[in-house]
Amino acid sequence: MASTTPAPSEAAKPFDIVATYNELLRSDPDLTMPIAAIEALVLLLTHSPSSTISETLDLLEKSTAHLKKSIPNPIGLSAGTDLFQRYLITTLQRPGQLGPAGDFNAIRAHLLSNGRLFIRRAKESRDKIAAFGRGFVRDGSTVLTNGGSRVVASLLQKAADEKGGPSAVRFRVIYVLAPAKDSSAEPEGMETVRALRAKGVPVATIPESAVAYSLGKADIVIVGAEGVVENGGIVSRMGTYQIGLLAKAMAKPFYAVAESHKFVRLYPLGQYDLPIEQRVIDFNTEEDITDGHKLQSVAHSSDVVDFTPPHLISALITDSGVLTPSAVSEELIKIWF
Amino acid sequence: MANPIDPAQTSPSSTSPPPAPATQQSTPDMSSQQPSSQPPQPSNGASKPAKPPKQPKSKDAPPAAGGAPGEEKLSPAELKKKAKAEKAARRAKERAEREASGGAGPGPNAAPPKKGSIGSGAGGKEAPGQPYKGQRHRRGSGTQPSATEQKKKQEDKNVAVFGHLYGQPRRTTIAGAGKEVHPAVLALGLQMRDYVVCGSSARCVATLLAFKRVIEAYTTPLGTSLSRHLTTHLSHQITYLSTCRPLSISQGNAIRALKLAISSIDPSVPEASAKATLSDFIDNFIREKITVADQVIATSAAEKIQDGDVIVTFAGSSIVKQTLLTAYKQGKKFRVSIIDSRPLFEGKSLARTLANAGLEVQYSLVNGISHAIKDATKVFLGAHAMTSNGRLYSRVGTALVAMSAKERAGGVEVPVIVCCETVKFTDRVALDSIVVNEIADADELVPSQPLKQVTGLPDLTDEADAKKGDSKKGGNKAAANAPPAESTPLPEGSSPLANWKETPNLQLLNIMYDVTPAEYVDMVVTEMGSLPPSAVPIVHRMSTNL
Repeated sequence: MASTTPAPSEAAKPFDIVATYNELLRSDPDLTMPIAAIEALVLLLTHSPSSTISETLDLLEKSTAHLKKSIPNPIGLSAGTDLFQRYLITTLQRPGQLGPAGDFNAIRAHLLSNGRLFIRRAKESRDKIAAFGRGFVRDGSTVLTNGGSRVVASLLQKAADEKGGPSAVRFRVIYVLAPAKDSSAEPEGMETVRALRAKGVPVATIPESAVAYSLGKADIVIVGAEGVVENGGIVSRMGTYQIGLLAKAMAKPFYAVAESHKFVRLYPLGQYDLPIEQRVIDFNTEEDITDGHKLQSVAHSSDVVDFTPPHLISALITDSGVLTPSAVSEELIKIWF
Repeated sequence: MANPIDPAQTSPSSTSPPPAPATQQSTPDMSSQQPSSQPPQPSNGASKPAKPPKQPKSKDAPPAAGGAPGEEKLSPAELKKKAKAEKAARRAKERAEREASGGAGPGPNAAPPKKGSIGSGAGGKEAPGQPYKGQRHRRGSGTQPSATEQKKKQEDKNVAVFGHLYGQPRRTTIAGAGKEVHPAVLALGLQMRDYVVCGSSARCVATLLAFKRVIEAYTTPLGTSLSRHLTTHLSHQITYLSTCRPLSISQGNAIRALKLAISSIDPSVPEASAKATLSDFIDNFIREKITVADQVIATSAAEKIQDGDVIVTFAGSSIVKQTLLTAYKQGKKFRVSIIDSRPLFEGKSLARTLANAGLEVQYSLVNGISHAIKDATKVFLGAHAMTSNGRLYSRVGTALVAMSAKERAGGVEVPVIVCCETVKFTDRVALDSIVVNEIADADELVPSQPLKQVTGLPDLTDEADAKKGDSKKGGNKAAANAPPAESTPLPEGSSPLANWKETPNLQLLNIMYDVTPAEYVDMVVTEMGSLPPSAVPIVHRMSTNL
C-alpha cells in the first residue's frame, strides 16, 4: 500500500527496516535491542507516507514481522516492537484530538515525537537502574557477574563512583568471561573490566568453567538480561542459567538487572520452549564432521541464550523499582491492559 | 428463646407433634429408606422439612392425600415455622446430649423427652426437624437402647477433621422446594446433585441459562420494582440450588455479576426491556467469560503442545479436552495419558471423546500415577477455582498428579499447566483442603465395580464368606482396603463397604476437592494471557473491576 502512494523524495528508495535496525545497533553501542527496534520503527513511520490509521498499523505489523524473521534471535527485539505497537494502539484509541476522530497528521506528529521521547526515556532508565541497584553492592563485598551487559556495567561503575573519591564503596568484581568468537578479538565484557579497573575496582576475570569454584568467594551475583518473561524468569546470554543454578545451590543472592522495556510477552516453560531456533546441542558423527561445513554455527555465537527460571532469581532490578520475579507479570499486565 | 417457641409449637399441636407418627404411617417407604440409605443425619433435615406441613393435612384428611399437595402447601410462613421447629429441636437435642454425656445423674432428665418423641406425639419439639442422625436411627429401628450409644454411632460416621463440612445433606427430592422455584431450576438442581451437570463451567452455564428462563417467566409483583424484587426472587432459586449441591466458585461469581446487573437497572425502565437487557447480559456473560474464553485458552494452551509430547491430565476437564482437540486438529502428534479416579470416573468420557477423535489415549486410575507420569512431558489440569494465593482448587487427586509431576524422581521436572477461565478466580485464599471443601455422600464410594471373572472361583466363595464373617467381627477397617481376592467372591452386587454404616470403627470420606500448592503450578492459561499463579489476584482484581 505504502509504496503505491506518491512518495516524497526521501522515500525514493524503499526503506529497509532490517538494515536500519542493524545500522542503529552498530552506530550506538549503548543501544539495546528493543530500543533499536523502536527507533527503527519510528524512522520507518517518518519515511512512510501512510495517511490512515489502519494503513499505519498494517505497515507496522508487516515490518515488524519482517524484522523479526530476519534477526536470528528476536526475543529482545520483540519486546520493543510489541511495546511500540501497543503504545500506538492505545494512543489511537484514546478519545480526543489524537483519537480516531482527530486529524491524522497531528496524530502522526504526536506519535513520532512521543516515540523519540520514549527512546530518550529508555536510555535514561539505565541511570535509574544504577541508582536503584547500587545499594545492593555493599562495602567490602565481592560481586560476580558475566557477559557484556551495559546496564550491569553502568550499575557497577555507578557503585564505584558513589560519593566520589576515597569514600567510594570498596568492592571487588569477579568477571566471568566467555571466550571470544575468534581468538584474535577480546572477549565481550573486557571493556567493562578495563573501565572498572580504571576506577580502582579490583577485578578478577575467570572462565565460565571456574564459576562454581569462584562462587564461594562471591557475595552476590548480578547479571544482565536480554528479556524478562512473563513468569519473572529471564532470557539471557548462554551461561546465565548455570550461574543461577550454582548461586541457588550456594545460597548466594542472584539479581537480574533489566530495563522495563525488556519485558516480553513470552512464557517459556523451560530451556527448549523458547521461540527461537538455536542449535546448541548438535549431534554429529565422524561422517558429519568430514562432511564438515555445518560445524561453525554452534555455541560460539554470542547470540545464543538460555532461560533462567524465576525461582533462581532473588530480585529483578528495573527502572520501575526492585521487583520480585512474581511482580513482573503484574507489571506486564499493567502495560498490556 | 426455646421457651417462647415451645408453647407456640405445642399449642397448634395438631401440626407439629404428629410428624414422627405420621412419617411412620403415611410414608412408610420414606421412613424405611431414610435409615438405610441415608444415615448421614442431614438428609433427614432436608426431607423432613417437607413433612411437617404435610402432617396437618394427613390428620385432617386421609393420609393418602399426603404426597404431592403437601409440598406445595409450604408457604413462607410455614417455612418459617418449620425453621423454628428445627431450631428448637436442635437445641433440645443438644441439651439432651449434654445431659446424657453428663452421666447418670442428668440422665433421667434427658431420657423423657426422647421417649416422648419416639412413642407419642408429645415430643413435638424434637420430632419435626431432627437434623441428627441418632434420632432417625431411633425412629427407624425403634429398639435402640441408650441415647449415648446411638450418638456415638452417628458421630463416628463423620470424619472428625472434616466435621465442619458436613452441613446439610444434599437434597434428594424436589419436595419442600419453595413454590417460587422455577421448574427449570428444580430440574437443574437435581441434575447437579446427580452429577449430570458436572464441572465448574458447565454448572455455571447451566445456572445462568436456567436463570434466564426464570427471568423470562418473571413478572414484577405490584408495589415493587424489578431491580429490587428480582434479586430476592433469584435468591430463592439460588438457595434451592445450593441445597442440591454447594455452589461452585464460578457459579458464585456469575450470580454476583448477574445480581449487580439487576440492581443497576433503572427502576423506570419498562419491565419487558429490563428483562431483555438481562437476557442479553446473561448471553454476553456466557459468551465472553466461558465460550470465547474457552476458545482463547484452548488455542493458547495448544501452542504449548509440541510434537512428541506425552500429555498427562487428570479426570475430565472440558477445557483440557478442548485444548487437546485443538492441538490435534493443528496436526500435532502427541499422546495423552488420562489419570482418573473413583467415584465419578470423569476421565472415562474424556478418554472416549479423545479416542474417538483419533488421539492416542492411555487411561489409568490414580493408583497408577507413578507409572503414568514416568514418560510424561507436560501436565494439563483443569480447575474448579484458582485462589488468590495462587493455589489450584480442583477435583480431589489433582494435587497428587501435580506433585508427582514436579517431584518426579530422577528426571527433569514436568511443567504443570492449568487451564482456567478468569470467572473461576476467587479472592479467597486456601491454605489447605480442609477448611474449604465439599463432602459428597459417602455412599457414592460403596458400589464396587462388578468384577467379571473369567475363571470361576466357586470354592473360594465359601472361604471368603467365612473370612468375611471374621473380618466383620474384627477390625472392619480392613474391609475398606480388602484386597480383590477377598472382594471378588462376594455375592453379586454387594460391596465390602455395603454395610459400612453398621460397621463399628469405619468411616468413609468422600471429599470432592483438593488444593494444589502454587509451587507445583508453572503456568495458568487464562483468556487474558498466560500467568504465573502469583498473578491470579491481580488478574482477578482487573477482571472484576472492568
